Amino acid sequence: MDKKRISLELLLLFSVFVIATCGLIYELVAGALASYLLGDSVKQFSFIIGVYLFSMGVGSYLAKFVKGNLIDKFIEIEILVGIIGGISSVVLFVLFNTLAHFESVLYLFVFFTGCLVGVEIPLLMNILKDRVKFKDLVSNVFAFDYIGALLASILFPLVLIPKLGIVKTPLFFGLINISIAIFLCFYLKKELSKPISLRIKSIAAFALLVGLFIFSDAILSYSEEKLYGENVVYTKSSPYQRIVLTRNNHEFRLYLNNNLQFSSTDEYRYHEALVHPAMSMAKNIDNILVLGGGDGFAVREILKYKEVKKISLVDLDGEMTHFFKTNETMRRLNQSSLSNPKVEVINKDAYIWVKDSKKKFDVVIIDFPDPSNYSLGKLYSLQFYKELERLTKPETKIVVQTTSPYFAPKSFWCIEKTMNQIFPFTAAYHTYVPSFGEWGFSMASYEPVHNRIYRKLPNLKYYDYNFSQLSYFNKDMKVKEVEVNRLDNQILVRYFDEEWGKVQ
Amino acid sequence: MLRITGTNHILGHKLWAKDFPQFSEVIHTKYLIVGGGISGLSACRFFSQNNENDYLVLEMENHAGGNSSNGQNRFSKFPLGAHYLPLPNKENIEIIDFLEECKIYLGTDEHGEPVLDEYQMTFPQQERLFFKNSWQNDIVPQKGISVDTQKELDRFFKMMDSFRLKKDALGKYWFAIPVHDSSREDELLRLEKMLFKDWLKEHHFQSEELLWLLDYSCKDDYGLGIEFVSAWAGIHYFAGRKNNWSKRYKDQVFTWPEGNARLVQHFSKYTKGKLLPKNLVFDIKIGETVEVLSFDNVEKKTKKIIAEKVLCTVPQFVNERIFNHKKASSFNYVPWLLTTIILRNEFGGDEELAWDNVIYGSDGLGYIYDQHQNVNQIMGEKVITYYKSFSTNDCRKARKKLYRMKEDELKASVLEDLKKAHPLIEDFILEMQFHKIGHAMIAPVPDQIFGEAAQTAKEPIDGKVFFAHSDLSGISIFEEAFYQGRRTAEQMI
Repeated sequence: MDKKRISLELLLLFSVFVIATCGLIYELVAGALASYLLGDSVKQFSFIIGVYLFSMGVGSYLAKFVKGNLIDKFIEIEILVGIIGGISSVVLFVLFNTLAHFESVLYLFVFFTGCLVGVEIPLLMNILKDRVKFKDLVSNVFAFDYIGALLASILFPLVLIPKLGIVKTPLFFGLINISIAIFLCFYLKKELSKPISLRIKSIAAFALLVGLFIFSDAILSYSEEKLYGENVVYTKSSPYQRIVLTRNNHEFRLYLNNNLQFSSTDEYRYHEALVHPAMSMAKNIDNILVLGGGDGFAVREILKYKEVKKISLVDLDGEMTHFFKTNETMRRLNQSSLSNPKVEVINKDAYIWVKDSKKKFDVVIIDFPDPSNYSLGKLYSLQFYKELERLTKPETKIVVQTTSPYFAPKSFWCIEKTMNQIFPFTAAYHTYVPSFGEWGFSMASYEPVHNRIYRKLPNLKYYDYNFSQLSYFNKDMKVKEVEVNRLDNQILVRYFDEEWGKVQ
Repeated sequence: MLRITGTNHILGHKLWAKDFPQFSEVIHTKYLIVGGGISGLSACRFFSQNNENDYLVLEMENHAGGNSSNGQNRFSKFPLGAHYLPLPNKENIEIIDFLEECKIYLGTDEHGEPVLDEYQMTFPQQERLFFKNSWQNDIVPQKGISVDTQKELDRFFKMMDSFRLKKDALGKYWFAIPVHDSSREDELLRLEKMLFKDWLKEHHFQSEELLWLLDYSCKDDYGLGIEFVSAWAGIHYFAGRKNNWSKRYKDQVFTWPEGNARLVQHFSKYTKGKLLPKNLVFDIKIGETVEVLSFDNVEKKTKKIIAEKVLCTVPQFVNERIFNHKKASSFNYVPWLLTTIILRNEFGGDEELAWDNVIYGSDGLGYIYDQHQNVNQIMGEKVITYYKSFSTNDCRKARKKLYRMKEDELKASVLEDLKKAHPLIEDFILEMQFHKIGHAMIAPVPDQIFGEAAQTAKEPIDGKVFFAHSDLSGISIFEEAFYQGRRTAEQMI
């Protein structure tokens, strides 16, 4: 009897140690995940520690209402902590991709884990209070609790994150939590009132976590991190492309089929240069057409002009526009531009849409992917601009992103020349975008391009309406002879391949 | 899913027994055209343009078009026969006029250059060849060929360049389209009597790669390879097209997802209310007028059509059955198999399919990517049409064998060939449709084009029955059929 009592005490104290370790791990995971996905780590960690400690307090308070066989309850709580803590990372990752209210779910997780851990310590003291002297009990429980916490906080950054990663670490500790529960079920079966049901519950929970542990890579395509060397926070394969969003400290980067589309730190340079020259020089700006640009950044810039009545955004990929319309972080970046009532998002193929459309627009902003293959090359062809011509009025301004005049000067001037076959006046211009390098655009219209500025916005970060400064090209960005890009020759794709082939 | 289609050979072969009911209806018309292929349609166009609107067309299939027919599945239209038309020579003003009518040729620019509708042409990548285990950009083998081979290739193409420009004392091209306009000088008649392979030997062309290329080219246009076609025909393939109409587009081709069935569409206004499909003509009697008996496979009855003049635009093996005295034994028709395959989107990986994809050393002629001209960012399932002609000295035997082949056998033979370039293609296949054409095209074997048989077969009977078909030109291409129909209709009015 005495022997058994001692071993029970030791066993339960060991559980305290494990609970404390696991609890802290879950907290650390939540903090890391939040700073990783949302940014601002000081704020995220501070909030999460606060919420966690607070919810432990709530749990401790609630512990006094727990009735019945306390060892049963202890094991049940152990299982619950294991499940909730264990799956937290997987669930949060999946939710980040799909859910708008990511933060609230995150804090809910922290709260529940904290509560459950909070219940356990008083519960344990209650179980042991008749078996151990109170003085020893308090000392031992807290000693094990804090030792566990130390172990967790040392292991987490040094071993767990580098070896297991942020998804598998909580799953692993969930498994440890539940192993303890399973062990207690069998070892203390005489003390339990429902040993069978507890065993089933604990083993089922164990199986669930093992399953998730094995398949977590597949669920999250986690291996891509290695490819990008940055933290991958979102991946999605749509029928058209692979969308990958990464985050590094405060910077988000979006890759489509492994090509960088934007970096949140300098995209304003690109998008201001894309949008504002045309918007300021167009006589009217009632109806705007944006082709490509499913990230909503160009639309964000256009919406800064209050006179704009309607923006039609045609982007092939519904997954892309959905993500930028619903994801909280992306909404913060594009200022929820895609949800603005003035904006109509049309998920259609731009070529086909332009070919079939009968509307006319005051400004057309074209932000297609670079012409890296023949399918994309068609979107820069003479025939495409001919189709586009029908959607324009005599005062319409058209602007097209035309790749880098520094890395790909032939491609750059080929697009300009092709546009010029249809639109009598074109003006090429360029700007420096640190994450891309020197980048260029061409503006086209039926009248000389930089003759008049109709409107200015006061608060732009980059563009100062000094267009002629952007339209000056140094010698190393000029080429003499380029051909017109036609459907039947697709010369642009060849230029592009030849020029970027040298760079990459 | 596997499916077999084909020309209506069951109905056609009833001509052997001629076991048809007595006629129960009489129809009168001024001109009757037997056969609704390109020759027949071209004749209709000529009649109509010359205000001769009293004509009818009888067609055995349920639609006009002949070899220029097409199919369609959930993802694309696809050809069931001829599928492209090269840019015409500038001398071929009749075709150019037709292209203008079809809004393919849109006028000229300020330099006098033709403006063409680029949507109806091919885009890069036009063609590629699977050679030495990878795809290269051109059909002419390039990678790792020996210096001698390169020299032979250069020498061959140089010769063809000079043949292309050659004219006789009368100013006739040595190799013209239509072939009727070609010179008949002795040297050319000699070329027409010899096999292409012998001519190649005579000129010391022996590199494997060059011979493969020429064999492939001949099979692609004539159904038979260099062992069987005449030297004149072999050279004509390279020298007949002058690439002289457009400086900008040169040797481009017009094509459509449904192939030349698109061109048939443009003729439909000339046959509106005048086309009687599913009609098999089995007897023609010439008297004061011409009396034609035709079995209507819809109403299952025989009709007598009484016409002033009849134009037979059917191949000569059909004329042989209709007219007891006509012989067609010297006309060889090559059987073809077209296989249209629906493939999962992932087929080909990141590689873009070219319009024309050829496999070096293969039995078939490669495949066409039917969605090549889509201007949208390609998505969803891919549709390709694989072509195979049966190059042999015994077309009859090959034809019988083709008719006997069942789905699994057809599939195995097609895949065996495609797997040379696409070892995993089977994993991507959703559907295969096999289209058998027993008598797909006339084979320009020696003596076929300028020989006596063709000249005799062209002769009208009593100034009342006329003949027009690409087999009378000896080359089965759109331009010849178009010319045949038009020229003969001109003689009739």
